[in-house]
Amino acid sequence: MTDKLARPLATMLYTARDFVQMFDIVETRMRTYAPAAVDTVLADLLAEPSIARGIVHHEVIPARSAIHAPFPDWLDGRITDGLRSRGIDALYAHQAEAIDAVHAGDDVVVVTPTASGKTLCYALPVLQAIADDPASRALFIFPTKALGQDQVAELGELSRAAGLTVSAATYDGDTPAPVRQAIRSAGQVVVTNPDMLHAAILPHHTKWFQLFEQLKVIVIDELHTYRGVFGSHVANVLRRLLRICAHYGSRPVIVCCSATIGNPAELARTLTGRDAQLVDRNGAPAGQRHVILVDPPIVDPSSGARGSALTLANRWALPFLRAGRQTIVFGRSRVAVEILLTGLREALREGFGPRSRVRGYRGGYLPTERRAIERGLRDGEVLGVVATNALELGVDIGRLDASILAGYPGSVAATWQQFGRAGRRQGTSVAVLVASASPVDQYVIHHPSFLLGSSPEEARLDPDNLHVLLAHLKAAAFERPFEPGEPFGPEPADELLAFLAEEGHVRQAGDGRWYWSSENFPASAVSLRAAAEENVLIIDTTPDRPRVIGEVDLFAAQTLVHEDAIYLHESVQYHVDRLDWDERKAYVRRVDVDHYTQADRAVTLKPLDVFAESDAVGGTRVHGEVMVASLATIYKKLKFVTNENLGWGRIHLPEIELQTTAYWLTAGQLRGAWRRDELDIALLGAGRAVQTIASVLLMVDPRDLGLVTQVRSPHHDVPTIYLYEAVPGGVGLSERLWERHAELLAGAADLIATCTCDAGCPACTGPRLEPDVDARTLALRLLAELGADATGRGAPGASSAA
Amino acid sequence: MSTATVARRLATFRAAGAGTGDVGSVVDRAKQGGDLAARLAAAVGGSVIASPAGAVVWLEGTTRPMPIDRDRLASLPGQPPAGVPLVCLDTETTGLATAAGTLAFLIGLGWWEGDWLRQVQLLLPDHADEPALLDLLSELLPQDAWLVTYNGRGFDWPLLVARYRMARRPAPTHAGHLDLLPVVRRLFRHRMDDARLKTVETMLLGVQRHRDVEGWQIPTLYLDFLRGGPAGPLVDVVRHNDEDVRSLARLLAHLDVAYGDRIARQSRPRGDLAGLARSFVRAGRTAEALDCLEDAALHPIPLNAAAAAGRRVAEVPWWSPRARPDFGGRGSPPPMSDALRDQSGYRWTDERLAAERARILARLGRPLDAADAWQAAAADRGVLAIVAWIEIAKIREHRLREPVEALDACRVAGRLLERSRALGRPHARLEADLARRAARLRRRLAAADQRRLSASEAIRAATSARLGTPCRPGRSTTRLATAAESRSATSGLRAAALGRGEAATEPAVRSACLRASEAAR
Repeated sequence: MTDKLARPLATMLYTARDFVQMFDIVETRMRTYAPAAVDTVLADLLAEPSIARGIVHHEVIPARSAIHAPFPDWLDGRITDGLRSRGIDALYAHQAEAIDAVHAGDDVVVVTPTASGKTLCYALPVLQAIADDPASRALFIFPTKALGQDQVAELGELSRAAGLTVSAATYDGDTPAPVRQAIRSAGQVVVTNPDMLHAAILPHHTKWFQLFEQLKVIVIDELHTYRGVFGSHVANVLRRLLRICAHYGSRPVIVCCSATIGNPAELARTLTGRDAQLVDRNGAPAGQRHVILVDPPIVDPSSGARGSALTLANRWALPFLRAGRQTIVFGRSRVAVEILLTGLREALREGFGPRSRVRGYRGGYLPTERRAIERGLRDGEVLGVVATNALELGVDIGRLDASILAGYPGSVAATWQQFGRAGRRQGTSVAVLVASASPVDQYVIHHPSFLLGSSPEEARLDPDNLHVLLAHLKAAAFERPFEPGEPFGPEPADELLAFLAEEGHVRQAGDGRWYWSSENFPASAVSLRAAAEENVLIIDTTPDRPRVIGEVDLFAAQTLVHEDAIYLHESVQYHVDRLDWDERKAYVRRVDVDHYTQADRAVTLKPLDVFAESDAVGGTRVHGEVMVASLATIYKKLKFVTNENLGWGRIHLPEIELQTTAYWLTAGQLRGAWRRDELDIALLGAGRAVQTIASVLLMVDPRDLGLVTQVRSPHHDVPTIYLYEAVPGGVGLSERLWERHAELLAGAADLIATCTCDAGCPACTGPRLEPDVDARTLALRLLAELGADATGRGAPGASSAA
Repeated sequence: MSTATVARRLATFRAAGAGTGDVGSVVDRAKQGGDLAARLAAAVGGSVIASPAGAVVWLEGTTRPMPIDRDRLASLPGQPPAGVPLVCLDTETTGLATAAGTLAFLIGLGWWEGDWLRQVQLLLPDHADEPALLDLLSELLPQDAWLVTYNGRGFDWPLLVARYRMARRPAPTHAGHLDLLPVVRRLFRHRMDDARLKTVETMLLGVQRHRDVEGWQIPTLYLDFLRGGPAGPLVDVVRHNDEDVRSLARLLAHLDVAYGDRIARQSRPRGDLAGLARSFVRAGRTAEALDCLEDAALHPIPLNAAAAAGRRVAEVPWWSPRARPDFGGRGSPPPMSDALRDQSGYRWTDERLAAERARILARLGRPLDAADAWQAAAADRGVLAIVAWIEIAKIREHRLREPVEALDACRVAGRLLERSRALGRPHARLEADLARRAARLRRRLAAADQRRLSASEAIRAATSARLGTPCRPGRSTTRLATAAESRSATSGLRAAALGRGEAATEPAVRSACLRASEAAR
C-alpha cells in the first residue's frame, strides 16, 4: 500500500526537479554570461574570423607531469613531518637538486618558471640550518621592499608545521626603530633589499655582528632583475657583504632564484663573484598551455600604422571573463591599465556582466588594496584583474585561466612571468601576447622561436664600471680597512685605493692598510639605481609635503625630466613643472594625461680608447671607450596607443658629456657603389634595426643604447655605426654586443626583411625621413654587404601572418 | 673584465679630469709626515706609549680638587652607589655616525683619587695604532667602575664597542653607566635652550669657555693631521676634550652639592624640583617625589623664560625624546613656531605641580588625595584643566564608586572642551574619551536606578515591618557613614551598614571607609 503510493509520489518529485533543472539550463543559455571551460572559450575565439586573422603563431605546450624526488636523508625529521602535514610527500626534482647542493655547501642558481615551488628551494636549507643550530641566521634579499612578504609568510607556515620557532622579520625603511633593535639581535631570517643592505646594514655592521657571525644562507631572489646599472651596484654591495662576512668568520652559501634567461649561471657568477651550480630542470607539473601571439591588423599600409593592442587585448579577455574564467590582463603603463579596465567594464556592463569582479592593480594602490585584490584572486572572488608589471614579481595570486599581455613587456623573462600567471596544475590555460606597433614588439611577435625556444636574452652587468666600483670601494673602505693587496672583486684594489687617497677619501697608514679618512658617510652619497653620483632628484610637489620619488643621472635627465616633460614613475604620470639644473632638482606634479613626451638629442661622439677590435665582413667591429657630447633639442608630445603627434617644444639645457663604453662597426670595404645620401639612410636604417635587436638580446630599454651613425667617421674615415651605453662608464653591454656582432647583424637583417611594410617603417628602419626613399632596401643591402644573412635567424612561426 | 681593463679605465678616467686639482700637495704633505706619534706628542705635549700593538700619545692632565660626597650623591635617583669607582669618559671622533668607519681618535678619561680628579687623555697618532689605544682603554677601565658620560649611552660607548668589534676583541665591561644627558633633560629642561654641554656649563656651572673649538671642526682638524697636515691645531681639540671631561665631573659635583639633600635642594628653582620628582618616581621613590613637589610649590612661579624674552621655541622642544641631541654641529637651527610657545612646558605652574602630585598619589593608591590634587590642577586655564576633570571623573567612577559625582566631573570637562572648541582649539581625543566615559556612566546610573527601585521596595517592606513606620533608608545610612568617618570606625561601620541589607548606598559607604582609612594613615 505504502509502496504503491510512494512510487508515483517519487516520480512526481523527480519530474518537478527535472523541470526546474531544465528551466535552469534554458535560463543559463539565455544569458550571455554562461560558465564555460577554457577549451570551449578558446575554440569559440579561434572560430571567430576577425580574431583568428590576427594570430601570428599558436603553440600548444603539452601538459607535463611532476618529477618527484624523495626527501633527502639529511633533512631534519621535524621538517619532513611538517611538510607531510601540509600535504607535501615528496619534493620536485629541482627542489631536491637545489637543496642537496646547498647542503653540500655549494652556491646554486635555481631557474624555474612562475609557481614551481621555488620558495622551498631556499626555505628548506634555511630551516635545516636553524634546526641544526638555532643560532643560525639567513639573509633574504629581494629587489624591492614590497616583495618577499608571501615568501616570508610561507617560510613561517613551514616552520610552524615543523614545530621550529623561526623569527623572520622584514628590515626596510619602514621598520620602526624599536623593532630594528630586536631584528638586529634576534632575527634569524632577515628580509631586506639591496638598498637597505647598502645604506643601513653594511655601514653599521658592528651592530649586526650576531647576524654576520652566524650567517649560513644568503638568498637572492629575482636574480634576473639585477642587471644594468642596478645589477652593477648590487654586485658591489654583495662584494661588500661577503667581505664583512669574512671579517666575522662566516662563509654563507648563496641561493639565487631567477626567471628564465639565457645566462643565469653567468649572471650569478658576475653578481656574486662565485661559481654557482645551475638547477634548471623543472620538476613541477603543469597543465596544457596555449601560447598565442597576436598582431593587430595594419590600418594604414603606407605608414605601417597598426590597430590598437589594447582594444585587441580586451577582445581576447572578454570571452574568458564572460565564461567565468579567471583572467589577468597586463598593460605596460598605468594609463594602459586604465584604458583596458574601462574598456572591459564598459563591455561587461552591457548585459550586467561580472563588472565589479574586474579590478585594476598597479603601482600607486595602497598596500591594503593590493592585498585585498591578491586575496580575492586566490579565493576566486575577483574574476579578472588588469595589472601593470607590479604584479609580475613574487606576488602570490594563485593560478588563473588566461593571461593576456597588451604589448611585449620588454623581455622574454618578464613575458614568461606574466604568461605564468595563467596555468593550473591540471586543465588548459591560455597565454596571449598582443603586440604593439613598436619595433621590439614586432620583432618578437614575428620570431616565435625567440619566445618559445631557449631564451636568447642575457642579463648583463658590469661590476667594474669605474663610477660604480669607486663608489662602493669607498663604502667598503669605510666598513673595514683594506689590507695591502686585498682584492675587491677579482683583483687587488690598491691602485684604485691610491686613486681614492689622492682625493683624500682614504689613506694608507703606517701598517700599509688603507683606512677611510673622511668624515663623510660614503654610502649615503650613492644611489643603487643610478650610475654616477651626480643625479637629478625628482621631487613630487603634489602632496602637502613634497617628497623625493626618484633620481636620474644627468644624461638621462636631459631627455626624461626637461621642463614640460611627462615623467613616468611606477606607472604614474608626472608633469615636470620646473627643472633646476644647477641645483639638480626637478619639480614634478602628478597628472593624468593621454600622452607622453619624447625628447630628441643631438649627439656627437668621439672614440677615446679601443679595448678590442677585429675584422668583420665589409669592415671591422670594435669595442671601446667613447666620449659622447649630448644636447637635448626638442621634445614631442605623442598620444598613447596611436602615437599621434600632439605638438612639440624646445628644450633649453646645457650640453653634457658622457664618458662611456660603446660598440661600433665600420664599413670600410663596401663593394657596391654607394651614393653618399643613400649610405646615410642605409646606415641609419640598419643602425636602428641593430639597436632594436641589441636591446632585445640584452634585456634593456632601447633608450639605454644610444645610436650614432657617421657616413665618414672622423676617427676611422669610413662609414660607422656606433651603439653607446647611456650610462656613465657603461654596464658591460657593449663588450657583449661586440661578441655577438654576427647575431646582431643577422637579427637586424631579419627584422627588416620580415617587416610587412613597403619601404621602411617605425617597426624596422625607423620613421621615414624622406618619403621617396626606400630605406628598407638600402638598409638590407648594407647589412648584406656587412655579412648579414637575412634568413640567418630563422623565423619558423612568422609564416602564418605573411 | 680583466685587470688591464680596470687599470686602463682608471687611466682614461684620470685623463678626462676626474681627479681633483690639489692631488699633488696632499701626497707631498703625507710624505713629509714622518713619525706621526712623535710629531703629535711634541705638538700637544704628551708622551708616546709604544707597544707591539702600536703607539698612543698619553696626555696627563692637571689633577684638581673635585670633592664629592658619594653617599649623598648615591641618595639621588639613578646615581651610582657610593662604593664604586667612577670614570668620566668623553671621546672625539671623525664623524657623528656610530657606523663602522667612524674613528674615536681621542679618549678623555677622568677619575677620582681621593678628593682629587685625575684626568688622562689618550690620543691616536695613526689608524694603524688603534689596537694599542683599545688595549690601553681596557686597562684603564676597572670592571666594577661606573662610566659617567654625556650622551654616552647613545654615542660614545656604542662607538667604542663598535671599534672593539672592528678589531675582533671584546669590549671592556663596566658595572654601570651614568649618562648625564637624560638627567639634564629631566631636571633642567625648563630653563635651558638646548642640551649642549656648553650650555650646561654656562647655565649651571658658571663656566665660560674661551677660544673653544667648535664640535663640527674637530673631524677635519684630525683628518688633516693624518693626511700630513699640522698637528698644532689639535691642541685646541685636546683642550676642548679636557674641558668636556672636567665638566662631567663638575656637573656631578653640582648635582651632589645642590640636590643631594632636601635642605640643599629646597632653594633650587621649582622646575628643577619637579624634574627631580619625576626622577624619584622613576626610581619608585614616591615619598621623596612628593616631598620634592611640596618644596617646589613653596617657590614663586617662574616667568615663561623663553616667552618673556620674546624668543621663539623650537617645533620639537629640544628635551623631547624625538629631538636629536645637539652638540653644536653645523646643521641649521630647527624650524621655529610661535604656536608652541605657550604649551612648551617651560612653566611649572601650581596647577602643573598639582597634576604631578595627583599622578603620584593615584599610583600610591590614595585616590581621595589624588582627586584633591586634580581639583587643584583643574584651576589651570589650559588643556590641563580638562585633563584634570577627566581624571577626577575616572577616580570617582572607578575608585570611589561615585557615579553621580563622576558624571558631574564629566559635565565640567565637557563644558571646558566645548569652550575650547569654540575658541578654535578642539581636542578630538579628549572629546572622544569623554563622550565614551559619560555614556557609560549614564548607562550605569540608569541600571543602578532600576536596581535601587526594586531594592528599596524590599527594604521599605522590611524596615516598616521592623519599625512599624516607613522611612527613607538611603539618607540615614549615608549620614551614619559620614559620622563614622570622624570616628575612624571603619570596619564596624561597614558591617553595620551592610548588615542592614542596604544595597543602594554601598558606594557611599565605601568612599567613607576609604576616607577614614586614609585619614588614619
